[in-house]
Amino acid sequence: MEPLPKRRKGMDEGVDSWEVHPILSDEQSHDIKLVEAFAAPIINKKETSRLLKDLATTYPLPGLQHIKRVRARKSDKHPHPLEVVICLVDGAPEVKDSKEVSLTTLLPSESFNSSGLGEPFTVKIPAHPSLTRPQFEQASVHWPTTFHEDKQVTAALRGQLFTAAQKAKMHKYMMTAIRAAKAGQEQGMVPVGAVMVDPASDQILATAHDCARGTHPLLHAVMVCIDLVAHGQGGGAYDFDPFPACQFTVPDRQPVEGSSDSVAPGSTQEQRGEPYLCTGYDLYVTREPCIMCAMSLLHSRIGRVFYGTTTRDGALGTRYKIHTQKELNHHFEVYRGVTQHLCEDLAEEPH
Amino acid sequence: MRGRGLKIRMPSIGNDLVKQDFSPPNMDDIQRWMAAAFDLATEALENGEVPVGCLMVYRNEVLGKGGNEVNDTKNATRHAEMVAFDHVVEWCCSRDLNLNQVCAQTTLYVTVEPCIMCSSALRLLNIPLIVYGCRNERFGGCGSVLSIASDDELLTGSSFKCISGYQAEEAVEMLKRFYKQENPNAPKCKVRKV
Repeated sequence: MEPLPKRRKGMDEGVDSWEVHPILSDEQSHDIKLVEAFAAPIINKKETSRLLKDLATTYPLPGLQHIKRVRARKSDKHPHPLEVVICLVDGAPEVKDSKEVSLTTLLPSESFNSSGLGEPFTVKIPAHPSLTRPQFEQASVHWPTTFHEDKQVTAALRGQLFTAAQKAKMHKYMMTAIRAAKAGQEQGMVPVGAVMVDPASDQILATAHDCARGTHPLLHAVMVCIDLVAHGQGGGAYDFDPFPACQFTVPDRQPVEGSSDSVAPGSTQEQRGEPYLCTGYDLYVTREPCIMCAMSLLHSRIGRVFYGTTTRDGALGTRYKIHTQKELNHHFEVYRGVTQHLCEDLAEEPH
Repeated sequence: MRGRGLKIRMPSIGNDLVKQDFSPPNMDDIQRWMAAAFDLATEALENGEVPVGCLMVYRNEVLGKGGNEVNDTKNATRHAEMVAFDHVVEWCCSRDLNLNQVCAQTTLYVTVEPCIMCSSALRLLNIPLIVYGCRNERFGGCGSVLSIASDDELLTGSSFKCISGYQAEEAVEMLKRFYKQENPNAPKCKVRKV
């Protein structure tokens, strides 16, 4: 670990003092897994295409479509420039000791013409397709694989996903959340703030702080923010009058092409240009949401979540990754680190 | 309108959590309270909401009850349990009782397994026991998708016990009836149905 750079305390920290880190799924952030396989050198290059065709029939390698069956050995140390995967060690017939395997046990001569192949050896190959460039680079050390790169994830991992102008906006929204957190703290609340933004219009739709302490233990900042957005859409369940820093805005109606004021009955909200819950919105929250709040955001169809600092039982990266949970019906992007130091200064022990 | 404009007050809620003697419900209790929960689920269905109903029972007294109110409030977190929790908070507040102590002796009766959000809220409130009907395969937080109810590594709140399977078929049947209808508030599906 590098030592943390020295920093000044206070609100004058700029956009350069923090970095955005994407919170990827476990599958994306894990080290790659390897499985043992038998491979053999191709002694007679002219047999390569026939061998590949026959191997594909004898050992189709289901679930390993990402593996390139043949690898080139360019270095002079290898007498044969091509090597081919025959089968997984687990899938090989009656091999008692993988060190003493022969071509005829793997490919019986009565059913397989193995001319052109050299003696087999064991090799470790990547068990799953690579989802990120670091995983692909790790996998390539062992055996060549295909890689369908998600350019967005690569850009995010390199810290290049957001432009300076976008970072400046994030900074501005998070500063609003921090101010709300401080206003809540002055009323005796835990200093957590949240801001809901419609990225299509750059409009702040709701600003909230934690209202839990002494009032209602479930009114965490995110829950308050979601209810304030509902207020802006003509709904809402709570009255936040005692907390003047908790505010909402009625969203500007997005003009929809071809629509007029007289809308046909039965048209959906989207056709009328009306919002549905928090669909497509960005949430800025000073610290990582708990499970209840993370799941509330999922139920609300949130678009993206940006938070400053992690929490002990956090559900968007630390303890759970609700936003990447496969079984759930909605997934969203999560980024950590926006104005991290300022958010750390706010942080208290989670309640 | 139900549930609209819930007032926030500043009651005195102590921080000391005392789990007093808590006697679990017997079969008669379960039947009685679950029947009432199913009535609330039916009511929710008639209001065009997801048919889930629940009761919060403390020392044989109903402190809170609720049906799903998501469409009414345009707030996706207004599940039956969350509505009922508000009633419990109000009940304690108006009697100046310690919410933690009351919750520690309260049982939740609900027609469908609480979702991950509601399970986490149950932990935060330190509810010791819940009784539910059918599993919640989409969102369940008591084992179906995640096991928030029993996650001992979580430091937030406390784990709780579940009695499950009560009138499960009836609860599933109600959900099926609901999901056959269309959600009038949902944005139109991008894929055109032929």
